[in-house]
Amino acid sequence: MNRRQFVRALGGAGAWALVQPRGLVLGAGGGSLLIPMDDQQTDHLKAYGLVYRGVQSGLASEWFLNYRGGSFLIDDTDAIRRDAALAGVALQSVGPDALAAIRGEIAATNADSVPLEKAPRVAVYVPPNQPPWDDAVTMALQYAGIPFEKVWDVEVIGGALAHYDWLHLHHEDFTGQYSKFYLLYAGAPWLADMVRVNTEAARRLGFRTVPDLKKAVARAIREFVRGGGFLFAMCAATETIDLALAAEHVDIAASYASGTPIDPGADAKLDWSQTFAFTGAHIEPNPLIASFSDIDGHQVNAPGRRQPLGAFTLFNFSAKIDPVPSMLVQNHRQVIPDFYGLTTSFLRTRLKPSVTVLGDEEGAPWVKYIHGDLGQGTWTFFGGHDPEDAQHQVGDPPTDLSLHPHSPGYRLMLNNVLFPAAKKRELKT
Amino acid sequence: MRLPPASRATLLVVALCSSGGALLGQVAGGTEGSELERSGRFAQAADFYLAILRADPANPTALLGLERVLPPLNRLPELPPLAERAVALRPGDPDLEGLLVRVWVTLNFADSARGVAERWSRRDPGDPAPYRELALALEDQGAFEAARAALVTARASAAQPDAFAVELGQLDARAGDWEGAARDWVRALRARPGLIANATGLLATAPVVRRPAVLSVLIETEGAAGPAARRLAADLLLTWGDPSRAWTVIEPTVRAMSDETTDALRHFADVAGAAGTASAWRARGLALSREADLADLASPAVSARTRADAGRAFLEAGDLVAARGEFERVEADSAAPLEAQQLAAATLISALVADGRLDSARTRLEHAGQLLTTDQRTALQLEIAQGWIRVGALDRADSALGDDSSLSVVAEHGWIALYRGDLARARALLGAAGPYAGDRRDVTGRAAMLALIDQISDDELPALGQALLALMKGDSARAVPALRAVAGRLPPAAGRADVLLLAARVAAHLGEDGERTAATLCADIMQAAPAGAAAPAAELLWAELLEREGATALVVEHLEHLILTYPESAVVPEARRALERARGAIPRS
Repeated sequence: MNRRQFVRALGGAGAWALVQPRGLVLGAGGGSLLIPMDDQQTDHLKAYGLVYRGVQSGLASEWFLNYRGGSFLIDDTDAIRRDAALAGVALQSVGPDALAAIRGEIAATNADSVPLEKAPRVAVYVPPNQPPWDDAVTMALQYAGIPFEKVWDVEVIGGALAHYDWLHLHHEDFTGQYSKFYLLYAGAPWLADMVRVNTEAARRLGFRTVPDLKKAVARAIREFVRGGGFLFAMCAATETIDLALAAEHVDIAASYASGTPIDPGADAKLDWSQTFAFTGAHIEPNPLIASFSDIDGHQVNAPGRRQPLGAFTLFNFSAKIDPVPSMLVQNHRQVIPDFYGLTTSFLRTRLKPSVTVLGDEEGAPWVKYIHGDLGQGTWTFFGGHDPEDAQHQVGDPPTDLSLHPHSPGYRLMLNNVLFPAAKKRELKT
Repeated sequence: MRLPPASRATLLVVALCSSGGALLGQVAGGTEGSELERSGRFAQAADFYLAILRADPANPTALLGLERVLPPLNRLPELPPLAERAVALRPGDPDLEGLLVRVWVTLNFADSARGVAERWSRRDPGDPAPYRELALALEDQGAFEAARAALVTARASAAQPDAFAVELGQLDARAGDWEGAARDWVRALRARPGLIANATGLLATAPVVRRPAVLSVLIETEGAAGPAARRLAADLLLTWGDPSRAWTVIEPTVRAMSDETTDALRHFADVAGAAGTASAWRARGLALSREADLADLASPAVSARTRADAGRAFLEAGDLVAARGEFERVEADSAAPLEAQQLAAATLISALVADGRLDSARTRLEHAGQLLTTDQRTALQLEIAQGWIRVGALDRADSALGDDSSLSVVAEHGWIALYRGDLARARALLGAAGPYAGDRRDVTGRAAMLALIDQISDDELPALGQALLALMKGDSARAVPALRAVAGRLPPAAGRADVLLLAARVAAHLGEDGERTAATLCADIMQAAPAGAAAPAAELLWAELLEREGATALVVEHLEHLILTYPESAVVPEARRALERARGAIPRS
């Protein structure tokens, strides 16, 4: 027997199996478990995965909005206790009397209970190549253990979004200008790969240029939302998808991307009736400045315009009247340190009147976290790249979320994933 | 009513034309056509694109679509007249001109392709795109010689001997003409010295037998290309694992002080340092030493620091004589910053310790006198003491530490007591040092050892001291059986499992046999002492062993068992992290 066989054989059928789990209290089924989401929670991010998997397996569960940081109630089963123990998620057994008391408190305060019905089918729009930056939502989903599938231009153009309820956009530049890194990082292998992959996709799908392809993708995503999909975008994807939609009939891409210079009258030709969130913005025409427009308030890569980071505050909505924005801001912290991204924030003056602001920096001309409806669906935009790496640079290693299990910024992303699981009911506003 | 695809395409084109949306036409045509292509209906796709062209003869999306779908239908000859018509409508459009060039080349009409390129070039004489497109198309067809000929002709007609040097350099290499490639890269470097990394990347792949010829071209053409060619040759020699010759090649180009020289030396030193071999470290030392010489007058402080770096590089190379020369110059240099002098003195003493010359190290430490800070002196005393411990001279180690009362020295005395088997004194001294001496690793190591010997009721246990001393000396193979023997003499509830766990951890690093031993020990610990703190730690180690074998399912099984069985164990957070890593939930670090 060689070493491999020996270690495996010993590991698979050894005496360890005789040592039965003694830390886990099993057989306690029948009641309910409260998953507190205040400071008593030992891993806030994994708690979302636990609830997702519980809902997916058919367990009855509720989201207690504004109660102990947005806690969850779920059926007490051996499987969920085991899952929680492995994930390090804190649970509290709740008997009928205690539950009645909790419901009484919810009824008497600015709180509410929302049943969670169906685990959404999750897709992440991510390019097939490996860009030298990570994607916060992908990491959050992986860390929480929420299953998802990857889609890109070929799938989106091919109509694959119909198979999903929830779509997250990786840090894509929908203006097709490679995040405007084309000149700044000329010669970098990752950029060459990005250009190759996108150019090939455009050619394969019958588009003359990459910007043309991205505009078509943006339109397909907008139709997904119109048809009832949930869209969550971060960083540059927020700003550029709206720019791509507004620029359906005008060239806003630098000549290196579209083969022709930016239309000098582009600003006036943008059609903001086509967009999700923004209106009246001005394009950044300089190909050497990695900024797309004046939608972003922080302009991290525009020398002379860059604004320092502050902190943003989540709005306190009425849970009983505004359950949707309430779900999106459930957190154990109301004030969260800001973080940069290619698009960090959104100027208030560039928001459409119908947009709901979920979080902003008090006294600043920008907001951080916004939400709105389109057709039968909804969209949420969150500025910035990585809540736990405020200065994330190209080439930096990915954030290890096991070191940030209580991240309030990451919680906001996961609120968005569970939000489509909530039972639909008529909204009062 | 369901229409046949062709009718739907025609209707769509009519609708698009009536709406007048050229861009919309491109996108809709692209998506519909690509759908047909994806489903393998090439004939329908061709009809669709041809219908678009009837309405918009210069539509590039349709023409590019035809370029894709006509070859599998054996109908590519239909495309040139359409492409010619499009070019006539939009002369100079790079998409259309390029397509026409490619199509002619694909159809084996190289002369026609060349004619298109020449006509295109005449329209925009300064634009290299026509010949570049022609060469790429020929290259795609495997006609490397023809591609090269096209570029040579273009170069001659442009009367620019360095034109297309990069393209020709790549083509030469692809065709196996490595000397030609070297010549062309020299031309390219003449115009753009910043391309040296590209040149190195390409020429580095030359077959071993052709490398001398490549080097000969680079070194002999120094006059024409300037130092860049020699520096390219030096880079290649570093890449090919001959750093000594690399230095002799670059050395003549770095004799006079200039920004360019400094950059070249720094680049050379960095590349050599990354190679990590003894001769590469030596080459790095030579480059840094030269940089220090050149900087000596202009910036003595920079020179001293660079010379200290050179000394460290020589140390890495194992060249103690050269290292000593550099450090002594820094030490004696009155213009050198104090920290550079201190660094030189300390590094020299450390080097002597590493070389086993402990008496010399002690003498030099005494001579260094007031140059060193108290902390530096203490650190060097500890190094010397540890040197004596490594050779088993515990009394000399005690004496090297002297009567220093700092906590680090107290801790070291504690270790010495432990190696003598005097557990009572070791407990007292290691405990007295507490968490304040040394870095985090020292503190953790001390705490772990205290936790181990606290389990043992004996005050004297020389066998354990001998086993731990063997471990300290790096003799792990002897330490493992010695630890197992000690464990066998201990009562089950008085440290046996903990000593076995230490043995298992050591054995896990001893190759295949060691891993086998470690796995056996882990199983023994879990079976014999399931209630103690050692059991979950043993199970975690076991999971690590299984991970090395790629047995992910078993790793997950063990870690889940550990977390569920020992929820209060201190290793649970680590186990959870390992579990997440095994499941791919967090990035591997």
